Amino acid sequence: MTFITNKMTKSLAITAVAVGFLFIAGCAANKSTKTAAATSKPAVWPLTLKDPATTESGAQIWAENCMRCHELRSPSQYTPAQWGIIVQYMRLKAGLTGTQAKKVLAFLQSASAH
Amino acid sequence: MTHRRGVLTSIAAALTIIPMAAASAAPAAGGADYTKLEQKYQLLEKQMAGMAKQMSAMQKQQAALKATQAKTGATKTKAIDREVKRLYRRVVKASQKISELEPGNIQVLIAGDVNFQFQNIQGSHSTFYADSSPMIQVRIDKNIFINTAFDFYTQAGVAGGSAADIGAANINYELNNYMTLGGGLVTSPIGGIVGVYNPAPWNRWLVDGSVEDALLPGNELGVWTRGGLPAPARMGYLTYFLFVSNGPALARTTDQNGATYNNLQFGNWDPAAQNGKTIGGRFSYIPIPNIEIGYSFEWARPSADGAITTTNSLINAVDLNSYYVNKKIDGLFRFRGGWTWDQVGQGIDSTGTFSLGGMSNGGQLEVAYQPSLCGIKYLDRVMAAIRYDRIDGPVSSNFSNGASHEQRYSIGLDYWLHSNAVLKVEYEFDNLSNNMHGNNAMFLQFAVGI
Repeated sequence: MTFITNKMTKSLAITAVAVGFLFIAGCAANKSTKTAAATSKPAVWPLTLKDPATTESGAQIWAENCMRCHELRSPSQYTPAQWGIIVQYMRLKAGLTGTQAKKVLAFLQSASAH
Repeated sequence: MTHRRGVLTSIAAALTIIPMAAASAAPAAGGADYTKLEQKYQLLEKQMAGMAKQMSAMQKQQAALKATQAKTGATKTKAIDREVKRLYRRVVKASQKISELEPGNIQVLIAGDVNFQFQNIQGSHSTFYADSSPMIQVRIDKNIFINTAFDFYTQAGVAGGSAADIGAANINYELNNYMTLGGGLVTSPIGGIVGVYNPAPWNRWLVDGSVEDALLPGNELGVWTRGGLPAPARMGYLTYFLFVSNGPALARTTDQNGATYNNLQFGNWDPAAQNGKTIGGRFSYIPIPNIEIGYSFEWARPSADGAITTTNSLINAVDLNSYYVNKKIDGLFRFRGGWTWDQVGQGIDSTGTFSLGGMSNGGQLEVAYQPSLCGIKYLDRVMAAIRYDRIDGPVSSNFSNGASHEQRYSIGLDYWLHSNAVLKVEYEFDNLSNNMHGNNAMFLQFAVGI
């Protein structure tokens, strides 16, 4: 079982580095979004991750991603405020990025309000 | 600058709306309290207006400086940039403070699911069964989210004929675009089946699962980090869920031939029963939204059992989840599959190291088709589903008769009343190794997601 321990130690080290990277990259990406106009330099991976969600619509992300795990729930089933809670939960469940979650929420709230 | 302008516009709108809301709430609030609140709003409003003015002036100055950058020099431009960023951060913080003062900013939702079923399993009396699993979800603010889930169900052999479990009790903090931190009790992501894409009865195509009950942990009690991020070169997404939690206990069983098997017992969080911690997680790749491929692992030092002082266990699992919807096939085709292999390794006792020989495998393949685009009333709501599942190893009570594996074929029809309400009928053929018959079963279920 020593081999498992050694393998696991290596895996843990790699995992720790990966998590650290995500933390830094996430913060960098947040900052780059906020100051996008001020920093005219193009985003270069891995320092700042380019999120495809920036070019996708909320309706598209909702239709394509939610369908993977369950039947689509109609926007009218919940109020805009309730969608706020549900999308926060589903971001966790589905591993959505913050950008994706924001876009889906904007779509659902807008569709729900109408 | 467009983004900043947008923020400033939002703040201005918020400043207009909030005092109106506060004013409408004035009669309900105490006089002194309301005056204080109003003063706070006015003060914030003044501060915000000042900062917005200052920022606007700085932005103008910045634009002018950039235009004549060659003459003024880069150092001065950088200083202005820094000042604008500093002001921007102050404006964002102030707007957050204002939103926290807005009435009703903590939101609560009751969700969950309810189901009842009739089951007829060979070797047992037929019975009705009911289960209600409410979830209380609380959004403290845009970053903090709380989830609590319960499970109430009928169960033979317990006082009152029913039992209750806690399914989730966790607090999550969204750290940034790609990462959320959390702690508490959470659905385990291992294997993907339960924690990712098959969470509740209303969302299962077939009623009776096996692998998730026998081989995979249902919950994790610990701390975690999870999230999603874009894959390099815009080739889809990656997700991750890493945790440290209370580990499983080592369960030893002896069959009728006297052979001792070792497998893992999950969900026993009594410190007296286990003291090992687990490290685990799941990674998945979503090349296109229709497909998710996952790998998960969980390593632990299960608690000591009798004379055994140390042992290791390792669970590995792979899973695939996909769908295809197209008019050419008149609807929706779904496919889910997974394979898990658990290993309980060597034990150490006073006599030295020895092999525990505990190895369990299992997996399932599920296929479903719904002619949702056929245009025929009622038929477009019917889903046909087939599943094959198999478990090898000492993990089921059926194995007490010496069988080394169990495999089941299940067929079912679902009728979707709504996207969250489904009627199901299922028949399950159960086979054990050595050509022994297991317990075939029939299920009828009505499940609703709230």
